[in-house]
Amino acid sequence: MINKIIKGPNRIIKWIDDRFPLTSFVKHELTGYPTPRNLSYWWNFGFLAGFVLVLQVVTGIFLAMHYKADVAQSFDSIQHIMRDVNYGWLLRYMHSTGASAFFLVIYIHMARTLYYGSYRAPRELMWWTGQGLLLLLMATAFMGYLLPWGQMSFWGATVITNLFRATPFIGEQVVVWLRGDYTVGDATLTRFFALHFLFPFLIIGAVVVHLVALHTVKSSNPSGIDLAAKDNIPFHPYFTIKDFFGLGVFLLVFSVFVFFIPNSLIEPANNIPANPMVTPNHIVPEWYFLPFYAILRSVPNMVGGVVAMGLSVMMFAFMPFLDRSRIPGGAHFRPIFRVQFYLFLLDMLVLGYIGYIPPTSQSILIGQIATLCYFGSFFVIPFISIAEERWLHKRGLPPEVEALIASEAHELSKFPHRRRKGDIE
Amino acid sequence: MRRLMIKPLVVLMMTTSLAWASEAALENIQVETSVAAVERGADNLMNDCHSCHSLKYIKYRDLVTFGIDKKKIEAWRGDQALDAPLASLMTDDAAMQSFGKVPPDLSLMTRAREGGASYVYAYLLGYYNTPDGVTSNHLFPETKMPDVLGISGTTEPAQRAELQGKAHDIVSFLAWAADPHEEERYRLGYYVIGYLLILTSLLYFVKNQIWSRLK
Amino acid sequence: MAENDTSSDTGRRNFLVGLSALVGGAGAAAACIPFVSSMNPSSDVLAKATTEFDLAGMNPGDMRTVAWQGKPVFVLRRTEEQIKAMAASSGGLDPEPDQKRAKQPEWLVVVGVCTHMGCVPNKEGPGWTCHCHGSQYDDSGRVLRGPAPKNLDVPPYRFIAADKIIIGEA
Repeated sequence: MINKIIKGPNRIIKWIDDRFPLTSFVKHELTGYPTPRNLSYWWNFGFLAGFVLVLQVVTGIFLAMHYKADVAQSFDSIQHIMRDVNYGWLLRYMHSTGASAFFLVIYIHMARTLYYGSYRAPRELMWWTGQGLLLLLMATAFMGYLLPWGQMSFWGATVITNLFRATPFIGEQVVVWLRGDYTVGDATLTRFFALHFLFPFLIIGAVVVHLVALHTVKSSNPSGIDLAAKDNIPFHPYFTIKDFFGLGVFLLVFSVFVFFIPNSLIEPANNIPANPMVTPNHIVPEWYFLPFYAILRSVPNMVGGVVAMGLSVMMFAFMPFLDRSRIPGGAHFRPIFRVQFYLFLLDMLVLGYIGYIPPTSQSILIGQIATLCYFGSFFVIPFISIAEERWLHKRGLPPEVEALIASEAHELSKFPHRRRKGDIE
Repeated sequence: MRRLMIKPLVVLMMTTSLAWASEAALENIQVETSVAAVERGADNLMNDCHSCHSLKYIKYRDLVTFGIDKKKIEAWRGDQALDAPLASLMTDDAAMQSFGKVPPDLSLMTRAREGGASYVYAYLLGYYNTPDGVTSNHLFPETKMPDVLGISGTTEPAQRAELQGKAHDIVSFLAWAADPHEEERYRLGYYVIGYLLILTSLLYFVKNQIWSRLK
Repeated sequence: MAENDTSSDTGRRNFLVGLSALVGGAGAAAACIPFVSSMNPSSDVLAKATTEFDLAGMNPGDMRTVAWQGKPVFVLRRTEEQIKAMAASSGGLDPEPDQKRAKQPEWLVVVGVCTHMGCVPNKEGPGWTCHCHGSQYDDSGRVLRGPAPKNLDVPPYRFIAADKIIIGEA
């Protein structure tokens, strides 16, 4: 009886398998994909980022069915969505909250990578594709923010497009070219809408590359070494269920924002239609850009500020070169690096705060110090990580770490191509 | 009749701590969400504000749907269509001549100011007479709007209390106008969060079950 | 890979997994509702579901076209001869007595959309002619010649005053 029931689907699957590697794909990427069993909940955030990406694409497409990219109609069409469209308020609040959720999840994902040193060999390409994804995400969020055509949309886009005045020789032309007008206008709005619709699909493409790289090098784990085969478990069902549970927790937090405090993430000034004749007293970017904005404001020279801001986002990409320590586990077994990590987070918070408040001579000074600390923490990594390694060896590594290093050396003997210069043979 | 908390100063900064030192603290008010209060507010607004200010995202039909007395709405709309927005009675040109600027649309006013409903409330009641006999506003000294409620000339406590009630009703109406789906949003929110609590607990148990297979 | 299925608690686990899948699936289905619903007419479109029309000023023989839900509605004030002729006939391809089509014999209210492919017929001589494919209707909106299969639709409407109708509400 049961045989009869499952025979039908089996035949279909066989038919597909003869033409497409369905079963082997599922086996290779899901039911047989080896995942370190010691992953903590900090490893949930990649999946969450993927979920938020899908959520943003879906809500975005439904919003686009009602939105009008036209300076005379944009603001009204948002109000039409908020007031008249069935559940339009829900779609819009999910999308606007989703933008913040996306950055929150990605920043946690990055912080985890930094803390555990997951960017180290052989995962450099994952880190760099991730860096590319961050840039795409920032561009998408920035262009999406213009679409409601509120005061903050308009002036944010004005300020950010003006950054390109720092381009050597042809700065003015580049700015006009970006806007398609002398100021941010109808042409700017329409192209931002087109690109805001396109970029998520580029992001999806980059995510595929990110995942292909992941499935080549496999997940890192809190121990900081590649585990022996016996310490790996199949992704499905262990991590599918763990990811779903994490998703439930995420959705709870997300729903609190969407249903109860959605306007905490929307600047009041953006509820005033864009007015090119009046700048709001206090323009601030969205919270996720604040630290970088503070760096921009800290440099007195315009070109210097733009370069510093661009560099501040790109600095992360250098991490695989900067951090040469061979102590496993990132910050976990490295006390100095750990302190450095938390100081860096603190510095980000200070920068964010400075980016938020209106500039005063005092706040600019604090911002400049924090900016120096920001770049400084990257520059000192090569020296500190090597000094720390020497100090740790001199002091004697904890037996736990010794065991990990020995086990890694054993694993590396099986995969010589992963060996780095100076590794224990 | 549920009272909703308006938390004007709650802005969640995820990367930064709260920063709001420079702004004077506003009296935290709670807006009324009952039909009666919103209707009183609409009454006051049609008398005191509507001659200069529009509410272009609110149609007369929205007032009917919300449950405001139909006779009143008929009186307000006159021969305008039920689907007409609450346009101001003053043309932009006339406004420019009298005030030097077009009075802002009020549909989103409680969302468009830092401090929200509390700001609008404090602003309406913020008029006072300077020693030189000029009327000014504590919150917004350069405002072009006259003291429509007449708070600056009122000294008697009972009358001041009455004006406070009036301002409170107007703000309640404006809060509804800025976010007519708020009640629906909260109601749906409770269901969604209740559901997610159940689902997440279930997933937690399933996760433990599945992971218990591992030695 | 380290995996060990004792399968002693398989029954309970299957129940929990099934229940979670059910609850999760129901939630996912419910989450589709707002998305699907958002594609339905919005409240401002629904508000245009009825149209009021003032009949005053129309003389016998006059026809007006009124927009109702974005569609043309023909309002025809019929002459004595037209009323008589229509009462005497029962139409052509889709027979229907005139009394069923006009609430007051003097006033004919029909949706001006050809029942064949949706073009708008023109008032020509007695009745209407559709120029897309040549269908003909009489002064009661009944189809006399194909390819249209059916008479012009009578929208829901009622007289709210002696000279005022509301279209969209019966």
